[in-house]
Amino acid sequence: MKTRPKKAAALCTAALLLFGAACTNSSDDKSDSKGDDGKSGNVSEQIDDVLEDCPDGSDTAGIEGDTIKLISSYPQEGALAAFAEIAKGYNAYFDMVNEAGGVEIAGKKYQIEVEGFNDNYNPPETTEIISKEFGPEGKGAFAAFSVVGTANNLAIRDDLGELCVPNIFASTGSPAMGNPDYPWMIGSSLPLYSTEAAAFAEYLKENKPDATVAMLLQNGEYGDGYEQSFKKAIEGSDITVVATQRYDAGLATDVSSQVTNLANSKADVFFNGATLLPCPNGMTKADELGWKAIKYVSGTCASKTLIGAAGESADGVLTASNVMDPANTDWDGNERMKTFKDTVSAWKAKTGDDGADVTNGVVGYGWTLGELFVKALENAESATRSAVMASLNNLEVASPGIIYDGITVKTGENDRFLSEAAKIGEYDLAKKAFVALDEVYDFEGGTAIPESLID
Amino acid sequence: MSDQTVTPPNPEGALTVAAPVRSKPTATAAFAVLVMAAALVLPFVHDKPEDLRLLSLGFIMGIGAMGLNVLTGYTGQISIGHAAFYGIGAYITANLIIEQNLTVLATLPIAIAVTAAFGALVGLPALRVKGPALALVTLGLAILVPTLLLKYGSNKGVALWKPKRRHLASPVDSLTDGQWKYLVPLVALIVVYVLTKSLVNSRAGRSLIAVRDQEVAAATAGVNVTGAKIASFAISAAYCGLAGSLSVLVRGQADASSALSYFQLSIYFLVAVVVGGAATVAGPILGGMLVQYLDDKAPEWSGNKVGMAPFILGAVLVAIVYLLPGGLLGGLRQLVARLRRPPSAPDPSPNHTPATSEVQP
Amino acid sequence: MQLFLNQLFNGIEMGAVYAAVALALVLVFRTTGLFNFAQGEMAMLSTFVTWQIAQAAPILVAIIAGMALSFVGGALVERTLIRPMEQKGNPLGTVIITIGLFIALNALCQLIWPPSRAQSEPFSMPRPWPTRGTIEIAGAQLKWFTVWLVAILLLECLALYVLLQRTKLGLSLRALSSNQESSRLVGINVGTMLMVGWGLAAAVGSLAGALLASRSNQFDVSLMQFILAYAFAAAALGGMDSPLGAVIAGFIVGIAEAMAVTYVDAVEGIPIVVPLLLIFFVLLLRPEGMFGRKVVQRV
Repeated sequence: MKTRPKKAAALCTAALLLFGAACTNSSDDKSDSKGDDGKSGNVSEQIDDVLEDCPDGSDTAGIEGDTIKLISSYPQEGALAAFAEIAKGYNAYFDMVNEAGGVEIAGKKYQIEVEGFNDNYNPPETTEIISKEFGPEGKGAFAAFSVVGTANNLAIRDDLGELCVPNIFASTGSPAMGNPDYPWMIGSSLPLYSTEAAAFAEYLKENKPDATVAMLLQNGEYGDGYEQSFKKAIEGSDITVVATQRYDAGLATDVSSQVTNLANSKADVFFNGATLLPCPNGMTKADELGWKAIKYVSGTCASKTLIGAAGESADGVLTASNVMDPANTDWDGNERMKTFKDTVSAWKAKTGDDGADVTNGVVGYGWTLGELFVKALENAESATRSAVMASLNNLEVASPGIIYDGITVKTGENDRFLSEAAKIGEYDLAKKAFVALDEVYDFEGGTAIPESLID
Repeated sequence: MSDQTVTPPNPEGALTVAAPVRSKPTATAAFAVLVMAAALVLPFVHDKPEDLRLLSLGFIMGIGAMGLNVLTGYTGQISIGHAAFYGIGAYITANLIIEQNLTVLATLPIAIAVTAAFGALVGLPALRVKGPALALVTLGLAILVPTLLLKYGSNKGVALWKPKRRHLASPVDSLTDGQWKYLVPLVALIVVYVLTKSLVNSRAGRSLIAVRDQEVAAATAGVNVTGAKIASFAISAAYCGLAGSLSVLVRGQADASSALSYFQLSIYFLVAVVVGGAATVAGPILGGMLVQYLDDKAPEWSGNKVGMAPFILGAVLVAIVYLLPGGLLGGLRQLVARLRRPPSAPDPSPNHTPATSEVQP
Repeated sequence: MQLFLNQLFNGIEMGAVYAAVALALVLVFRTTGLFNFAQGEMAMLSTFVTWQIAQAAPILVAIIAGMALSFVGGALVERTLIRPMEQKGNPLGTVIITIGLFIALNALCQLIWPPSRAQSEPFSMPRPWPTRGTIEIAGAQLKWFTVWLVAILLLECLALYVLLQRTKLGLSLRALSSNQESSRLVGINVGTMLMVGWGLAAAVGSLAGALLASRSNQFDVSLMQFILAYAFAAAALGGMDSPLGAVIAGFIVGIAEAMAVTYVDAVEGIPIVVPLLLIFFVLLLRPEGMFGRKVVQRV
């Protein structure tokens, strides 16, 4: 949606005269009058404002008997299937909770059930699934859960917003998920792309303060997010971005030409903001070209399969993340890591799901989401959508799931982002795992939503 | 009974069909009217939104398939890129609703006009080549259009355009949204069907068929071959553009995110034409609805097993072309003809002519 | 200069792949006059089969075995699916069958080798040659992979040339593409030749697939998906009935794409427009391609 100032002004005047109501940028639609002030504020209040416009009975929809039904949508086929691992993590957690009797909300116990659908990472398919599963009144399930992809979540936020359906733990690091115009939506514990960029920028300031940086980015919101956040984070320092190249997620996975162009800049740093297969392909190509640079990869690429696909060129690669890498045997002594691995292994044996790999960080991320959701449910005043959203926006959990010690997941009145801290990890080829550096780069409460990413 | 002239096998290619004849349409016409009436009444009797939605999408697929059929079944030019026109129609409608606040119905004439013009424009150079080379060009179109829409028309890097729900809601109080979204495509389908039938039975229609069967002879006989091809391309483009526009009403969005999905849709149209019956007017409607149904249900049947849905579709396609070259409708016709014919009469469908259907609804 | 050379090498590398697949397309067209839309997917299936064999045998053996099996497979497809449709005089039907195959084969691969497996053990194709890494030329890096790829492609072309021009089998194949009826009259077993034509194409495709798969650390069912558009562009540009044209055009397409990505801003992120535009212009200005024969229609 493009903002048209002139048109908005005309509409505003008309609306004012006709309805005497305040007007927002987009149109005179009543359901748009949420979060008028445009600033992040108290989500509960924002939701209360719009509850009356919601379809009747929407607040208690999606709970059948004692089962809370959730819908998820993510790619499951072929090369895109790396993201399907998230579901294994949270399904294992929910199974554990369900077996123990369920989660308790306001004195009553509930079972949690998630149904996942394949959308091929393709936003129009995501919207179809959501539209079909939730139905025209939005009552087909309690909430959308861990929908994967920046563009995918952006595509469904209007429909879900209008129907007052929560979109919980949108699996994307885009700061746009904290947009106050959409109080029913909340991002996940995945480090924000801006946090990643800022953490890496800090690392560079400490280790190579005059670095030149070349960036490989995906066409669209996801790539733009990285570029803007990183440029903002290096403002005032001697670090400069000397080249950027984009690739199109939908067409082919070969980024040789783009990386060749980037290598030509002879930059000190290769910021590989690609995800899925273009990421390892980019790493391999950079090596082939003999480009000696500090290499950084997006947190979304730090999964076992994708890093594994880069083979030897993954050695020494840096990333920013907030979870311990389960592939790193150094963490095996950690209580939470043990619980995670044991439970998922048991779940795997029980369900016969061969794909669930306990050494895959993506599964660990899903597991963390499971724990966070259950905690939020326990803290909710009632088993209603508005109460659960209020709870999610008032969360404080120290090191849930397999998040590093020392990092707390926190949301609050002006902070709709779960995790704004990360550690830099360096990939060790011998260990086939990321080894974390000690420093925690904490930007808690400091993330502002870049203007251009809000509609 | 009707006269049937049997044409010799066509070295040029394309499905061979008996020359069009006027035969007694009363029984089939009555049947058609009955079906239309039933379809119109359905949403008031059975108001389940999912079912109505599936049927609406089927109608839309049917319109697109009918369009492709004008080009492929009747003019003998193959295209595997018609989803491009569908996409353009959808894009125009979605953006006109979003930017200009037009109603869906108001955008239809514009979408039709633009896609027809675009079809003619593309047809001009494209139709200089024949057969597989043309297929190749149209394939290129199917990839090029979404790619360009994504790059130059996109909405912050996302090639998805969604009008607000209320703009797609029913403007008539007595109709629910679901009923409205069902009736508009249905009415469009009926109108298009009637138009197509008259086109096919007209002189223009016969020119198209002549071009398909014996292009050189047609030229010699005075048919403007190039003009016929281009017109046919434009008309088929317009149908697909209309289908695309209507899809915005039912799906709530226009998208160009994936060239692959455009290719797949083009194939669906082709499958619908072939499966339904390429040289019939109603066949593609049947084919379109079937394809839509399969596309929707296949994931369920296969238990969400990855790859099952396209496998079924591909296998069905091969099977039908093999076993029922006249498509379902053609096969049905043959069956009816065989049942009607007295046992001693010679078989009027020689082995080397695959589809033996007259031009009928 | 270094950038230019690097991109040139990129172009040659991909060009070799496009050329290999285009060659398969042309072989089919030349012998049977048909476009095989399923060529890429057949090659993809062959690649998976080759991979499966490579789990138990050395890679070279696997590749050759894969090619042999593909030969048989291609011949069978011709005999069971294509020929009967051809005999009915229904070329539209045959095109549609190849399209149906395109869809079904891809799905079949996903059913037999489920992608979920790849999460824990990716499908990885070893390279059939010993050298790795790159050679430095004037500051640019030329991958050994590219060198071997091109070498194998040229060897393949040579082998095909010898086959087509210097053997009796080749003569029969060429006669077939020129005039089927007459070939039959002079005693050529048309049926067998058709099968050989498709079999050869399938084998060529199998080799192309195996080599392409070995380019990255892992491959999956989307291996050939977009290659098809490029291969068709190359085949059209070169002339649908000219193997030499296909190979040369393959390189042209690959290099054009690499150059466009580097020097043309408008193409950023969407390099696929390059082969598409090439197709349009070729067919507009010279439909028979660079080396093809002009088709004269008999009335």
